[in-house]
Amino acid sequence: MTRSITIGELLDQQRVATDSGITSKKRLMELLSELIADAAPDLGGNEVLNSLLRRERLGSTGLGRGVALPHGRLAEIDRAMGAFVKLEKPIDYDAMDGMPVDLVFALVVPEKATEGHLEILARLAEKLGNQTTCEQLRAAANPAEACEILCQEAPDS
Amino acid sequence: MEFSNEVIFFGALLFLVSILASVVSARLGLPVLLVFLLIGMFAGAEGIGGIAFDNVQLAHLIGSLALAIILFDGGLRTEFRNFRVGLRPALVLATAGVVITAVVMALFAAWVFDLSWYTALLLGAIVGSTDAAAVFSLMHSRGLEIKQRVAATLEIESGSNDPMAIFLTVVLVEAVVAGQAHAGWFLLREFVLQMGVGGVAGVVGGVLLAWLVNQVRLGPGLYPLLVLSGGLLVFGLAAAIGGSGFLAIYIAGLMVGNRRLQRGQNIRRFHHDMAWLSQISMFLILGLLVVPTELLEVALYGIASAAVLILVARPLAVAFCLLPFRFAWREQVFIAWTGLRGAVPIILALFPLLAGVEDAGLLFNVAFFVVLISLLVQGSTINTMARWLKVEVPPETGVFHRLEVDLPGQPEHELVSYRVRPGSAAANRAPDELALPQNIALSLVIRGAELLNARQVDKLVPGDYVYFLAPAGDLKSLDNLFVELHVPERLQPRRFFGEFVINADARLDDLADMYDLDLPDEASGFSAGELLHRRFGQPVVGDRVRLGPAELVVREMGGGRVSRVGLKLLE
Repeated sequence: MTRSITIGELLDQQRVATDSGITSKKRLMELLSELIADAAPDLGGNEVLNSLLRRERLGSTGLGRGVALPHGRLAEIDRAMGAFVKLEKPIDYDAMDGMPVDLVFALVVPEKATEGHLEILARLAEKLGNQTTCEQLRAAANPAEACEILCQEAPDS
Repeated sequence: MEFSNEVIFFGALLFLVSILASVVSARLGLPVLLVFLLIGMFAGAEGIGGIAFDNVQLAHLIGSLALAIILFDGGLRTEFRNFRVGLRPALVLATAGVVITAVVMALFAAWVFDLSWYTALLLGAIVGSTDAAAVFSLMHSRGLEIKQRVAATLEIESGSNDPMAIFLTVVLVEAVVAGQAHAGWFLLREFVLQMGVGGVAGVVGGVLLAWLVNQVRLGPGLYPLLVLSGGLLVFGLAAAIGGSGFLAIYIAGLMVGNRRLQRGQNIRRFHHDMAWLSQISMFLILGLLVVPTELLEVALYGIASAAVLILVARPLAVAFCLLPFRFAWREQVFIAWTGLRGAVPIILALFPLLAGVEDAGLLFNVAFFVVLISLLVQGSTINTMARWLKVEVPPETGVFHRLEVDLPGQPEHELVSYRVRPGSAAANRAPDELALPQNIALSLVIRGAELLNARQVDKLVPGDYVYFLAPAGDLKSLDNLFVELHVPERLQPRRFFGEFVINADARLDDLADMYDLDLPDEASGFSAGELLHRRFGQPVVGDRVRLGPAELVVREMGGGRVSRVGLKLLE
């Protein structure tokens, strides 16, 4: 089970949204939860939301400079899943640097996860921490384009 | 007439060369103080300058005055919050540390130079204290930010250990001249008197001086001079009534520097410049005074003494003095290595010369050599050592253009200006997206020749000058917005503190569930902050604990408590 997961395996174009209507962190988390829940038939949006909020209570998952990576663990799933939302207007996310957030990737991993889940979390943080990637994501015209940018594998890894 | 003109000409020339040489020294990685010393030597009797200078009395006066100003500036720049972690270890180093260093050096000197026990101890005392100028300038040098526990200890130590070394030197010069020492109780009384009177004079003088500055109405240019003359008055007064003037002026600087002052920025800037002037004068004069060929005669002894000091005496003193405190071994090695010697040993070596001690020439030359080696070897390797020993933390303030303007009659507020730089967080952001603290207001943006108010600006673009009205002294959050980060990869906040920020009150058990952490038995039931306080006593930013696949790193402190913790996932 040491084979590492790629971002491409986490994400699907169905779970990428560019949205302009969201103005609060709560609504944002609900949207991300719904996107993930829709992809797994026996999973409710509430379970996902609770798991993300449980983690958020330990400290904001804002990475700084307008990017956030909420994540959580769920007993109901057997593989890691992600969803991505790009906001038209940045919202307050209680991030360390105080900057409002407009790029958000949510990740849920199974309760009984293998070592791989910390690795994919680190890889996502690395990717979203990259200024160039963020600029590309902000410039992306539609969900398909954003999805493609996220799924590109770094050449050296 | 002729003489005055010559002094002015050569003095100005030496200063000019020294100032320009500081550029070269930065490029070569040589400590700038060493360069000043070398320029003095080149200008001296045996160098190309041919200036025959042997006025020990004048050198002593200039040296003491310069040292007093440097300590004053050091005090002005040391924030009280550094005392939380640095004061107690620094005081032990500044007292017991100096004695241990002196005794170890004396054992060596008595054996190698075949000196009498008092004379050997005198040599030990002369090289016993670390140099405030060298340590302050290194700790505040660009691009180097050292863990607070280590930096605060080194700074307070270097500011407060000179009085101890001076005290020992004076006592020992008397003992050597008289051939016998005073009784122990007499020395103890003298010590308590010196430090007690110096300390009280410093506190009282500093508080009065700060009060005076805020009371009187003067022409704007006179405030810094008022503070400087007040500081020197405290020095002179304390010394006149039997206290340590150096301790008094350092403490007076602390008291003044940690209070709100009208024209505070002006005063600070002025003293920083005066400290530079003092360093240049002091090192030039001391360089002029030494005779290089006499120095060469003791080269071997000098190198051996420096080696014993750097590799044996200082590390022993540090290890012993820091026993009661929780310093990691890496931090101790760094503190031992940063025991830089500077002008103080050379000035102290003038005491026996002035008193006509038999081996005074030898003591002076050995002390000079020790300083040369210390500045050369330790001074030029501090950055490398900091990296090896992992005592660096990400700089809080990087490269930014900030200008502070004091508002007349408004010590509580100042007008601050930043230039927007391309890589900063503020670039290409709308003013209302800056998340400014409540008490800071954006007042004005200057774009080219246009003056714009906050509502007229839709995005800040690189090159804009932005003006804020802000509470004096509290600029960290603004700095963060405008700083352009050019820090090396290892010090990028994400690398250093880890990917995520955790609240200090987050339960470790919850974190362990989330990230599969291995908790030690003691940790169950605790919060992340509690674990760090238990582990480090008084944690500082950059302290870290490994818990299996991840590390917890102190990220932010507030009121002496850990407030945010970084979570770093380890590959």
